[in-house]
Amino acid sequence: MRLLIVALGAEVALFAAIAPNFLTVGNLAEITRSSVELGLLATALTPIIVSGGIDLSVGSMMGLAAVVFGAAAARGSVTIAAVLAVLVGMGGGGLNAVAVARLGIPPLIATLATLSLFRGIAEGLTHGAVNYSGFPSSFLFLGQGYLGGVIPAQLPLFLLVLAGYVVLLHRSVVGRAWYAIGFSPSGARHAGLPVSKRLALAYVLSGLTASLAAIVYVAHLGQAKADAGTGYELDAITAVVLGGASISGGRGTIWGTLVGLAALATLQNGLRLAAWPSELTGVITGVLLVTTIAFRRWGSAIVGEEKPVRNGQVAIICATILAGAILVSGTNVWLVRSLQPSQLAAPKLGGVAEQRRRVTIAMMPKAKGDPYFVSCRAGAEEAARELGIDLIWDGPTGLDAAKQNEVVENWITRKVDVIAVSVENRAGISTVLRKAQQRGIRVITWDADAEPDARDFFVNQATPEGIGTTLTDEAARLLDGRGDFAIITGALSAANQNEWMVHIRKRLAEKYPDVKLVTVRPSDDDRDKAFAETQTVLRANPSVRLIMAIAAPAVPGAAEAVRQAGRTGVSVIGLSLPNMNKPYVHAGVVQTVVLWNTKDLGYLTVYAGSRLANGTLASGARSVEAGRLGSLEVRGRDIILGAPLLINKSNIDTFDF
Amino acid sequence: MIGVRERSVAIAIVVLATVLAVFTERFFSAANLTDLFLANVPVLVAAIGATLVIVSGEIDISVGSAFAVCSVAAGLAAKAGLPVAAIALVTVLLGATLGAMNGALVAFARVPSIVVTLATMVALRDGLRWATQGEWVQDLPATFQWLGQSQAVYPVVIGAVASTLVVTMAWSARDLAAGRAIYATGSNPVAARLAGLDVAAVKFSVFTLAGALTALAAVINAARFTQVPSNSGLGLEMKVIAAAVVGGAAIRGGRATLLGTVLGVVLLGAIGPALTFLGVNAYWERAIQGAIILAAVVFK
Repeated sequence: MRLLIVALGAEVALFAAIAPNFLTVGNLAEITRSSVELGLLATALTPIIVSGGIDLSVGSMMGLAAVVFGAAAARGSVTIAAVLAVLVGMGGGGLNAVAVARLGIPPLIATLATLSLFRGIAEGLTHGAVNYSGFPSSFLFLGQGYLGGVIPAQLPLFLLVLAGYVVLLHRSVVGRAWYAIGFSPSGARHAGLPVSKRLALAYVLSGLTASLAAIVYVAHLGQAKADAGTGYELDAITAVVLGGASISGGRGTIWGTLVGLAALATLQNGLRLAAWPSELTGVITGVLLVTTIAFRRWGSAIVGEEKPVRNGQVAIICATILAGAILVSGTNVWLVRSLQPSQLAAPKLGGVAEQRRRVTIAMMPKAKGDPYFVSCRAGAEEAARELGIDLIWDGPTGLDAAKQNEVVENWITRKVDVIAVSVENRAGISTVLRKAQQRGIRVITWDADAEPDARDFFVNQATPEGIGTTLTDEAARLLDGRGDFAIITGALSAANQNEWMVHIRKRLAEKYPDVKLVTVRPSDDDRDKAFAETQTVLRANPSVRLIMAIAAPAVPGAAEAVRQAGRTGVSVIGLSLPNMNKPYVHAGVVQTVVLWNTKDLGYLTVYAGSRLANGTLASGARSVEAGRLGSLEVRGRDIILGAPLLINKSNIDTFDF
Repeated sequence: MIGVRERSVAIAIVVLATVLAVFTERFFSAANLTDLFLANVPVLVAAIGATLVIVSGEIDISVGSAFAVCSVAAGLAAKAGLPVAAIALVTVLLGATLGAMNGALVAFARVPSIVVTLATMVALRDGLRWATQGEWVQDLPATFQWLGQSQAVYPVVIGAVASTLVVTMAWSARDLAAGRAIYATGSNPVAARLAGLDVAAVKFSVFTLAGALTALAAVINAARFTQVPSNSGLGLEMKVIAAAVVGGAAIRGGRATLLGTVLGVVLLGAIGPALTFLGVNAYWERAIQGAIILAAVVFK
């Protein structure tokens, strides 16, 4: 524990040095707010781990509870919806309890199964796609408001649950039973403790707390979707284990979990404020986790016993961490340099400093790892170089609306000049974008829009309707107006793809009654899965003569499946990037790739941001001057890139991304 | 050798096969079965490693991330012009190294394996994303796909490799002292140590072996295509652990058979395609898989 507090202190010191506005009340409130949901899960997980078990299903339970809450709130009152969600949480926890406590199934396996089950039920109920929003603002206050202007509104709830668990784990017979069971389940049984009852309680409470976390999540984000809480279970386990709980049971405290949680939340927040890539979070968390535990076990001679870390070792660890911190900040020379002139110049030169200070544009894709967005980044950086501005490129590594909000909050703290977001969730992001606007930051959306009043301009490359129509028309053309086709989409819950499919179905109904959509299969943005799904679809539905793959990795996957099956009569079209499809387009397997110039999209966004920041682009403008793209049309507050591009054999070699 | 769990999984497979035979026509075509086979052999190879890790009393959830890293490495090795055998060797060595990293932390630093592999899972996945920036490995030499064989011969070659591997591993686990040491370590580490086994060495070796098998799985899988994505193996760790557990592996260690793992891979690998053939909507698939895993562990 001492070691962890030292590490936490080192983190705070490091980030206070290199990250702007880290050590402010506003940022502290932000760290607190973003850790409530995870904190609830970690708190509930502590007694489970202490008693020698584990619960991998907490994140999925969040998804199920969120969906139940959303569906109920859409039809009735929020209060009843909350009660229902909590009941579902207790029910799910009860299922785990029966499996582990009554049937004696190892918790890892039981909760691994319920992880799939709960998430699966949530997806099944909503078809993966339905996204509940439009909650009353009195409810949203719980997740987004501040008490007294400073304290995040969800904090009292968290403190209440925390207090309950502290009493239960540390001050009651129940808690002592949990520790005893963790040390030795058979010993506890022989001592007369009601082992099954105590274990059951821990799991039921975990389900209940997960549903509370889901309600907070929905209030925070303003949306309820089946993918809520994805991945949270691992972060929660990390926090608990970091905080000193032994994974084999018998050791751990709520306080330790809190410190572990603080260490994680501070790390994430600090890295973002310092504009370090978010991939580092995972790497550093991993290193932190392994190092603190390895050192904890260091020196214990007897298997299972843990000696406290000696002072000498603590000193070595402190020195290592601080040395690492100094190395990191040392390599951040440009950051340090860029901070100093604005601090020095401001008092002396006043207005002139404004012009000399470089404009900072913070740009966020939906998913950093997606090759589509990687190509947008290339264009964005090109524009940043031409204009001489600082570009921060960050965001979640996968589709994650909650993380997008967090990143924007960090940018607000950092006081960037312009925020440009490709929005994963419209309702959820708009609140935080409005907040940015209130703080004087200019806001643009690109690729996918937020609510119009939450941003200054939207860089629009193609409307969902345009995309759906173009794809459907191409499919109909290749099928000669009649035939069966199948869609391979990304993830079932991906908002873009679902919107396109709405327009595709509409277009089919309006214009192509003889073209039938036979089935929709998900690829989860995994090329191999798209390959396997296409293979199966072709065999299960031999009448299918066209595969429409609407996620970038899915097109080459589907194409390879068609090619390997030797089905030359089947066409493949989709929405993807040129490079990964070149061999298939040239071989005639893929007929058309629908896209737009993604590099130009990134390029245009940065130019628009820059023009917005220096005032040359303001509301009422009819056009915007964008470097090598020339003068582009502005319709209302939408900046239009151009029409969707049909990429095929004749023009694919002119693209390189 | 055929225990209760293996029997119940086998029965489940027979039931599923019967349903498919009755309600669909094309599931049992040679082409479809070959496709399913090729898709699941990598899962099986990785699951062998996962089973051994579970038998030794530990767990490895970094399989998917290691798979992704090794796939990219294989692609890069091919781009560098290495011959097929060298590509396989280099990748397997890389996988063994990654496994050894896990093994060292588990066996010598005595950090619990769930913690170590949680850390490596995240670190490898994020590190790979950072290094590749989402770019795929493209423009591979023509000998990469099918490892220089033809599309028709490849399944045969892979089938031979996989069955040799399964049979050898199954035999070694039972009849080699090294194999029995793994079971002993898993079922009671204290007794094993007192009996003279070097428990740390056993665990270290098991993780290293599992890493090598994961890398082999990555090569077998990557060679089915002409490009290597930067994010393969998503969810692989859950697949292999579920397959091992459904096949009868006790998560506390000391009990599992490779036959059970094979059956587990077959059952879980068949669910998705079966649902497609039966016309069930995709969004119930995950719920059904969870229910099946739960049923498999509840009904002992």
